[in-house]
Order: sequence, then C-alpha cells, then structure tokens
Amino acid sequence: MRAIRFIILVAFAALVLSPLTAAAQAPAVPDAKAKAKLETELSKTTAAPQEAKPEVKPAAPAVPAAKKPIKKEVVRTEPIVPAFSGIKEQTAVYVFYAWLWLSIVILIYFLRLWVKEADRVYKAKYYEPEESPLKDHPLPPCLGD
Amino acid sequence: MKIDLKKVGAWFDDRLALTPIFKYMTKKEVPQHSHSIWYYTGSSILLFLMIQIVTGIMLALYYKPTLEGATASIGRIMTELPLGWLVRSIHSWSATFMIAFVMVHLLAIWFTKSYRKPREATWMTGMMLLVVSMVFGFTGYLLPWDDLSLSATKVGTNIPAAIPVVGKWVTQFLRGGDDVTGDTLTRFFLFHVCILPLVIFAILVVHILLVQKEGMSVPLKDEIAKKKVPALPFWPNFILREVIIWMVLLGTLLTLALVFAPSLGLPADLMAPAPEGVKPEWYFLFLFQTLKIFPANMGPVTGEFVAVVLILLAVVAIFFLPFLDNKPDKKKGKIFTWLGVLGVIYAIVFSIWSLL
Repeated sequence: MRAIRFIILVAFAALVLSPLTAAAQAPAVPDAKAKAKLETELSKTTAAPQEAKPEVKPAAPAVPAAKKPIKKEVVRTEPIVPAFSGIKEQTAVYVFYAWLWLSIVILIYFLRLWVKEADRVYKAKYYEPEESPLKDHPLPPCLGD
Repeated sequence: MKIDLKKVGAWFDDRLALTPIFKYMTKKEVPQHSHSIWYYTGSSILLFLMIQIVTGIMLALYYKPTLEGATASIGRIMTELPLGWLVRSIHSWSATFMIAFVMVHLLAIWFTKSYRKPREATWMTGMMLLVVSMVFGFTGYLLPWDDLSLSATKVGTNIPAAIPVVGKWVTQFLRGGDDVTGDTLTRFFLFHVCILPLVIFAILVVHILLVQKEGMSVPLKDEIAKKKVPALPFWPNFILREVIIWMVLLGTLLTLALVFAPSLGLPADLMAPAPEGVKPEWYFLFLFQTLKIFPANMGPVTGEFVAVVLILLAVVAIFFLPFLDNKPDKKKGKIFTWLGVLGVIYAIVFSIWSLL
C-alpha cells in the first residue's frame, strides 16, 4: 500500500516538475514571429524619417541596397509593464496555473492520507520497542485519545 | 549492468556517515501544543530562500550590473525572455514572503518566550538572519537601476552618515564614493549575489545546528509546571504536515507573482532630481517614517542623528532580548511581551502613515 502511494506521489511530483523543465529548455526568444515583430518595431523607431518619404525608396532592384541606418540607443520614456508576449503564452500560463492548483489539491489529499496513516502508526506505538523512552509518552492533542 | 542500490547507499553512508543523521531524524520530536503552528514558519523561510536562490540564478544569467546594462538587461528579461517577467516577479514576491515570515517567526519566538535559557544564541542568530535578509532586500532594490530605486538608495545610504565618527565612512563604503553611481551598483550586486549569500548560509547553519542541539521549546507554563508535553515524531508526522503547508505557500506565491507582477520604472538618471513619492520596500517603511518625524535640529545635534541612534539602540536591545528578559515568567517578562506588542503596533501604524 505504501509503495503504491509512494509511486503515485512520485508521479504527481514528476507531473508538477515537467512544465518547469520544458520552460527551462525553451529558446531565449519565443519564436520567429516574435523576433520578426521585435525587429519591425526597432526598425520603425530608428528608420522613421526614411519611411516618411516613400519616393526616396529605390525603384529598381538593380540599385545597391541603401546603407542600414545606424542603430541609435532608444531612451525609454515609459515604464515596462509585465505582460504576456502573446495569446499563446497567456493561455499556456493560465493552463499551467490551473493544473498547478489541481496538482496541489490532489497532492494535499494524498498527503493528508499519509499523515493520518503516520499518526495512526505512531498512536499504536508500532515502531517503539519496549524499552523506548516514548513508551509512556502522552499523545499530542491532534491525535486525540 | 545491474546496479546494486544497497551497495551504492552503503558507499555513501561510509563516506558521509548518513546513518546517524537518519537515526536522529527518526528520534527527533516536535512538541505539540496550542502554539505549535509557529514551528512551521521556520521551515517556510527555508522554502522561500530556496526559491530566491533558484530564481536569483536565473535572473543573474542575463543581468548586467553596469550603468548602461542594468535597466536594459532587466527590460530584456521582462520583454524578450520567455516568462522572464514572471521569474522576476517570483523572485520579488519570494523576498517579500521570506522577510515577512522571518518577522512572524521572530515575533512568535518573542511572544512564546522561546528565547529563554538555553536558546539565547538561537535568538541572536535569528536576529542576524533578519538583518541580513533586510540587507538582501536593500541591495536588491537598487539592481533594476530605475528612478525609484536610485532615489531610495540615495536616501538609504545617506542614513548612516548621521552617525558620528564612522558615519561618513560607512556611507562612502556603501556608495563606493561620495554619491550613488555605477560603482554603487557594482558593489550592491556583489553584496547581493556573493557576500550576503555566504553570510546568510554561515549564520543559517549555526542557527539550524543550535535548533537541533537544544530542540524545540515547549510553552513556558508547561516548563515551569514540569509537565510532559506531548510530541510528534519529526519524521514522518511533522515533515508531512510541513509539506502540505509548503504546497499551499508555493501556490499562493506563484499566483501572487502572476497577478501582481512588478513593473520596471524609467531608467535612472544621475542628474535628474528625485521623483516624487520615493518609498523604500514595505519592511523599511516604519523606519523611513521614523526618520521623517524627527525635526531637522534637536539642540546641538541633528534630528536624523537622534533617530538613527534610537533605532540602533532598539536593534541592539532586541538582539540582547534574552539577557534583558531573564525572568520571562515574572512581571518583567510581561513587560517585555507588552513592549513587543507596542513595537508591532508602532511598525504597522508608521508603515501605513508612510504610505498616506
């Protein structure tokens, strides 16, 4: 019985840890889409004057590409508010949290069973030899009489 | 190839002498009485410390402790790295939980008089852990290098300057010069990730060893009556109850970190005037307000000097509390209990006042 409970607990612990390990293995930048979005935003801030005059753009592909604008350090004027990078991440996090709380509730259910069993064994003085100093020890109030 | 786990276990046991530790764990008992709930605060602090270490290492992988890189790297953590803002939020909330639990733990020890003989040294190491935890919070507050953290650090590092003789030197040592600059950031980072962890672990080991040596205290009235207090075995009865509490705390921490994630303010400007509404972290608010209520000059000395001296005296008195309250069962003991209650009311009222 104990072995089965132990296996169940280990399985749940593995379930709890698996998304964490998956998150740790994820790449630094979420996906190519997010990277492209980031680059577009950066180019908007640095190359805004050029974009304002569309007629200056080279018409034919034969003309050599215009020099890349020098990246200027953009001074942030707004605080960074924590936010999800997209709906995908948001959903993943909410699902993870729902699953986390469910795991906690289930684990607590099993742990309470384990506590009850441990208390019962202790109350019965199952592991205490005759010469144990705990032999005539009073029981804690939580165990009742 | 079949691995004999028993042989592997015996190999480790031979080298690390694990059997006596396991034997001790099975023999160790935890007294059970109406105040037993406070025993769980100690282990909860360890849980938060572990979370701090893990999330701190994750943040340190990307953080750059330089004038140009500090706020930019935190911005990168929050916007580019997957769930970086959540990791930062967990680190920040875990620090709050840790300090709150250290305070609750200390107050529980105070009100149950558990610091009495022979546990004086345990109390003193506990006080050291509280101070180190607060210094952890103070040094960590500057690391985002935003406008609020810069101003709060300027105020905070200026406080020791009010102490005569050594004050100015202490301020210079903390700042790495006369003002808060990039050098301050570098040394705060060094303190936060290198020196303070070593200090906290050294004190923590002594604290835990002392707790194991003396055992957990029983209620004062039972000790006086020489009553045999009921107890539970540490393993597995007590530790399983602890795990249940850890689960709930972990879930609460992660949920709060998700819902109330901290933002990152504007990058610090060394030339800019201090923004309005500069406030330290919540655990320094009552000290901050105490400093504010004192007038600029009080006779030959400054009001700040008087406030700093009073705060230092209070800290020293609390540190030596077991020796001051050497008769906890007598009237003197009750006076110290009421002083503790007054102290808690004072801290709460002044913290709220500071926020208004």
